[in-house]
Amino acid sequence: MKRNTFFAFASPSVIIMLLLMVVPLAIALWLGFHYMTFRNIAAPEWVGLRNYSDVLADTRFWRSFNFTALYTAIVVPSWVVIGFIIALFLDQVSGFVRGVYMSIFLLPFITVPIIATIMFKQLWEPSGLLTWLYQQLSGTRFRMNETSVKTLIVFFGIWYVTPFTIVVYFAGLQTLPQEMIEAASIDGAGRLQKIRHIVIPYVSSLTVFILLFSIMDSYRVFDSVYVLSGLNPQFKADTVMTYTFSTAVQVQRLGKANAMSILTVIGIMVVLIPFLRLMYKEQIAER
Amino acid sequence: MDPITSRAGRRFVHFVLLSFTVYSLVPFVWTGMQSFKTVKDAFSRKPLLLFEPTLQNYQEVWIRRVPDNAEAIGLGILLVVALLVGLLLSARHLPVNNRLVYGFCLAGFGLLLWAIPQLIYMQKFYDYFINTLIVTACTIVISISIGCLAGYSLARYAGLAAVVILIAALAFRALPRLAFVLPYYWIGSLLNLLDTGLLVVVALVAVNQPFTIWMLRSFFMEVPKDLEESAMVDGANRLQSFLRVIVPVAWPGIISTALFTLLLAYNEFLLVRVLTQSNWTLPVAISRYTGNESADELTLAAAASVSATLPIIVVILYFQKHLVKGLSAGAVKG
Repeated sequence: MKRNTFFAFASPSVIIMLLLMVVPLAIALWLGFHYMTFRNIAAPEWVGLRNYSDVLADTRFWRSFNFTALYTAIVVPSWVVIGFIIALFLDQVSGFVRGVYMSIFLLPFITVPIIATIMFKQLWEPSGLLTWLYQQLSGTRFRMNETSVKTLIVFFGIWYVTPFTIVVYFAGLQTLPQEMIEAASIDGAGRLQKIRHIVIPYVSSLTVFILLFSIMDSYRVFDSVYVLSGLNPQFKADTVMTYTFSTAVQVQRLGKANAMSILTVIGIMVVLIPFLRLMYKEQIAER
Repeated sequence: MDPITSRAGRRFVHFVLLSFTVYSLVPFVWTGMQSFKTVKDAFSRKPLLLFEPTLQNYQEVWIRRVPDNAEAIGLGILLVVALLVGLLLSARHLPVNNRLVYGFCLAGFGLLLWAIPQLIYMQKFYDYFINTLIVTACTIVISISIGCLAGYSLARYAGLAAVVILIAALAFRALPRLAFVLPYYWIGSLLNLLDTGLLVVVALVAVNQPFTIWMLRSFFMEVPKDLEESAMVDGANRLQSFLRVIVPVAWPGIISTALFTLLLAYNEFLLVRVLTQSNWTLPVAISRYTGNESADELTLAAAASVSATLPIIVVILYFQKHLVKGLSAGAVKG
């Protein structure tokens, strides 16, 4: 394909991304240096780096950062492990039965996150099914407090995204060369040994892919926290995203919120750059 | 993997899969049950698994005032829906052009959706539902059209610019929505575009573009290069050969991508929440039910959640193969 044709084809998409992603980032950077509420939106007041020093000195910001990190650290390994195990089991059935299981397992993932969280929360309302079960088993009343809200957020995260990893690992297992397994059987390897020495190394590239996307998605968690904590500060369950949102929408410090998202962007880019370089080299080599 | 053959082993496999089925379904089943309960039943201290179902909650979510001739109108609507669905399912066997049938059905559904509020006094929820349909449809059409052009050119052009665009898109894909949405809010309020569908659609197209072009590119790379070359030898230009030869071949992949765009647009909460005040889509409308702890809101939230989820489940089950293909496409190759 010629250069001119390429630019002609790609331009609508590239122009949209320039205007609506690159320009907004520049605006966010600029707004981060201003004091702005909903009242002086047309004429923000320049305050230099004050928003940034405010954010860095804000204990609620660091608390939300810590909870986001904790959430990621628990949820991402759970997705990988549970997804892989269920995919192995799903691989053991075939035909119509497999299709039915697959449809059911996918259900959480295709439901609107906000609605899925509301449904999940219904179980834990004072009259909910699991509230009752919990009280029967533990003998204590179930209450929404810091610990329980945080636990529910983590549980929901695991429940909601595991279908994604199941499907990815399952698709990977379908391409596993049968000869490798047969050769191992002849050598007398047991099932667990085969999984450990053949299957896990075989799907390791998928694991990298899943890890990348899961980490990207889990620190951005917003919808489930919004519903489960109701953004109530008493639960101390803010993530970086929900805290940025409250700062902008509830507290109306738009400049500070923009400074926060710029800091988040910088943090992400620092983590992402090695990977982007890797992808860049790969793409250059491929062409 | 080699299949487990022992009897106990098979039982164990099914035991695990059935347990996981229960685990996946519990919130759906419970919410479904709550949505059919009276407020009194829903608030019973001991959860009721058996109860007398009522449609009261659904009626309250959707309909503001029940008309006198409700049965006749309801029956009429059901008949029209049955007719259109029947036509849609049998389209392949009809002696008419398929596209004509699909177009007719689409027009029929559109007309029906327009006619319902003329006959029945509906709740605001119905407006949010229609709004969601419009926003989602516009986002899919625009996003996929420009995404196809870009994805195709990225799959075929070997220059450095293509690599730079792809890597930049990947970086954008990783950034949080809020980093873009707050500036959109600022621009929107300066241009007086807040609370308009236009701003929401444009914003949705933009934030989903990186993902869309990566996915479409991977599908276009599967299409053999000789295809368009032979078309171009026959005198077609790039665009003609793309539209007439490549798009039909890559169609299943385009459907997969459209399905993901559908989910992304239908699911979006944060962006719509910040950019609109009353012109909501369903996720924002439903989140309003969860704010306060008033008694009947619990059952209403359940009914609203089921109402908004059913259409998506029907669509996804119909296209499930495409969804699974899309999920595994990037993965297996990467």
